Amino acid sequence: MMNATIAKLALQALLGRRRFYLLLAFPVLLIALVSLITALADGDAAFDILPGLGYPLVLPLVAILAASSVLGPEVDDGSIIYLLAKPVSRYGVAISKWVVALAATLTAGALPILVAALITGDSTRAWALFVGALVAGTTYSALFLAISAVTRHAVIASLMFVLIWESLLGNLFTGVAWLSIGQWGLRVGHELSAQLPDPANLTWAILASLVVTAVGVWFAGDRLRSFSLRGED
Amino acid sequence: MTTLVLDSASRWFGNVVAVNDVSLSIGPGVTGLLGPNGAGKTTLMAMMAGFLAPSAGHVTIDGKPVWRNTEIYRQIGLVPERELSFGYLTGRQFVRANADLHRLPDAAAATERILEEVDMVEPAGRRLDTYSKGMRQRVKIAAALVHDPGVLLLDEPFNGVDPRQRMHLMDLLRRLGDEGRTVLFSSHILEEVERLARHIEVVVSGRHAASGDFGAIRRLMTDRPVQYALKSSDNRTLAAALMAQASVRSVSLRGDHLDVQVDDLGSFAVGLPGLAKQHDVTLYELSPSDESLESVFAYLVAR
Amino acid sequence: MSDVPQSRPGVIHDLGYRRYDGLREGTATIARTLFITGLRHAYGLGRSGKSKVMPFLLLAMSVLPALIVVGVVVLTGMSSLPISYADYTNQTQLLVSLFAAAQAPVLFSRDLRHRSIVLYLARPLSAPLFALMRWLSLAVALWFFMAVPTLLLFVGAMLSGLDKSDQVTQLLKAVALQTLLALLVAGITGLISSVSLRRGFAVVGSVMALIVLTGVVTAIQAIAADQDADAVSVAAGLFSPWSLYTGLANAWDAGVETFVPVDGAWVLAYALVALLLVAGCLLGLVARFQKVGSR
Repeated sequence: MMNATIAKLALQALLGRRRFYLLLAFPVLLIALVSLITALADGDAAFDILPGLGYPLVLPLVAILAASSVLGPEVDDGSIIYLLAKPVSRYGVAISKWVVALAATLTAGALPILVAALITGDSTRAWALFVGALVAGTTYSALFLAISAVTRHAVIASLMFVLIWESLLGNLFTGVAWLSIGQWGLRVGHELSAQLPDPANLTWAILASLVVTAVGVWFAGDRLRSFSLRGED
Repeated sequence: MTTLVLDSASRWFGNVVAVNDVSLSIGPGVTGLLGPNGAGKTTLMAMMAGFLAPSAGHVTIDGKPVWRNTEIYRQIGLVPERELSFGYLTGRQFVRANADLHRLPDAAAATERILEEVDMVEPAGRRLDTYSKGMRQRVKIAAALVHDPGVLLLDEPFNGVDPRQRMHLMDLLRRLGDEGRTVLFSSHILEEVERLARHIEVVVSGRHAASGDFGAIRRLMTDRPVQYALKSSDNRTLAAALMAQASVRSVSLRGDHLDVQVDDLGSFAVGLPGLAKQHDVTLYELSPSDESLESVFAYLVAR
Repeated sequence: MSDVPQSRPGVIHDLGYRRYDGLREGTATIARTLFITGLRHAYGLGRSGKSKVMPFLLLAMSVLPALIVVGVVVLTGMSSLPISYADYTNQTQLLVSLFAAAQAPVLFSRDLRHRSIVLYLARPLSAPLFALMRWLSLAVALWFFMAVPTLLLFVGAMLSGLDKSDQVTQLLKAVALQTLLALLVAGITGLISSVSLRRGFAVVGSVMALIVLTGVVTAIQAIAADQDADAVSVAAGLFSPWSLYTGLANAWDAGVETFVPVDGAWVLAYALVALLLVAGCLLGLVARFQKVGSR
């Protein structure tokens, strides 16, 4: 299903000048901040940055940027039809693009979280958080890819999901954790280190992550199957 | 030999009917899809290329549906009007990517062959965003042709292309048509269509207004006065004689020739030699002065 | 028709068009029209139905808690509002930031991306004035976004008979602070949107500058305060628009808590940084539009 040519083109689009710097800014900022605080204060204080800022904000933002970069501009200006007018399964197109977005999310989102967490000391909790970030990053990238395939306002819609649903309402109502990708990841990470919270049922967290990932990518492919060329609006 | 068939295809967007019950069949050779801006050409093209579902009716290529059928792209080469946003690729890389997406057994050779065909070998090493409009158009055609499709669809291929490049492109399309491919291009510029395609399909306000050889279409419209330019040995005598004919609507003397407006093409053409002989006038030249697509078109639009 | 020169070979014929000799509106009217159109567009008014969804959805979300608060206050007859006017804006900062990030590209990216900017500048309207009016549109739209729930709270306070002079003072303080914040946020998001023309990147850039940066600053402030490094905590507040807002609100006694109280010379520093930031963004915007206008 994976198509190397499409993945290569998506990667080239992702690494095109400005986007790349914006994508790079997140991990640099995160690691610099955590290093600074670890040096000035102590590791535990610095670690709080990660569940407070790195995990709930930087990781999804990187995922949004990556997912919308591999699909958004091409859908926006219609040039995706050069890729779609080919005897290539549209699900294959979606999967290939998702793999690139996923790789970017994990490299620029999850990996820096691991590096930053390792800087703060305690490696068990660092690896636990990393596992959580892997789970959440995977699910996020699939969900945001699906959103990018549906609406031109994908970035804002995805941001609202993360910032308003997961962060704002998630902080007010604990029940939101059952429908929060970030919390599913944390729940999986909790298995490795009890320092991470235990917001939901483990089976549910794993199953929900898998389902959202699979359905997200499938849905993106299905939207591409019905991709219609519309006039300018 | 590939045939593209639309069977009572319609497409509407909400209350707006963009394409209204169009049935047509396009075979090998160059066909022009003609219509004014907003007539539904792009919508029609999008349906033919599988990028829009017909709201009613069917669009098929050799009997196979186009919508939601990615396998059909083995037979279609599509040159969209949209600009390429792959400016960071070179011409060769872009064509090669298209060849790879078709999983051609020897993509590199196919790329070089088609670049040769569209005469783009020399600039193929440059990035797409350094190309002129005509060069980009050629690269798009190369990308669409790399897998040797039976059908080539081009949406407004000459838009913004300078005249020299336009001639070049026309030669290319003509050659492709002569090779037996089904080439369909859309345009709202009559002169382009006139020079490239004998066969035309005309859409006006989403309706299939006419199809066939445009000269034949023109002759079918006998209820519209036809303009002829006539040169003879004695214009004034001939004018007087012509005015007596029932089929002639008006005659005017214009310098060295006569402008004649004719209602009934058939009886005028048949009667003219006898009339000339009767008045001892020698005919030098008879030519339709408005047998251009412009007049065909203006007529269809006005109807 | 009568005065067409007959003798010369080259002639421009009078087809009956008449010159407009009436009164012409000046630059002020153009600027005002531009401002009002921009303000309407920020809320999707005069645009497609779809573009109204986002601004009004966000506005509804920011008004809803205020309605709940008002309901509770009026029904239970509390002696004070559970949240100050200035702090309400602070607590809903996510919505304000999202509104700015989502709507700034509408006002600042579209004209540049589609090059329709040259049409605007073909009128007797200078690039700096265009930039200024766009900025003002966004600033007023943002101010309105914050003022609506604030006014609702005030109405609630009046209905339940809270002390009027007290409430009016608090309200005016909040409104002044919100004005400054609106100018600031409009400048920042406008500048980002005018540089990054892809809508998605403009939005992510604005979110970085407003939400991520504020998150970073808050984290540093909290840790510094925890380590008893009060000066660091207060100084960190200079680096994000929202911490500037809360800092100034705290100093002005407008009912906003900060990790460490902002007082003394710090107040001056906060105010100065805020004003410099506004001025800097404006200069950047003017420079940007002058550059694209001259091409």
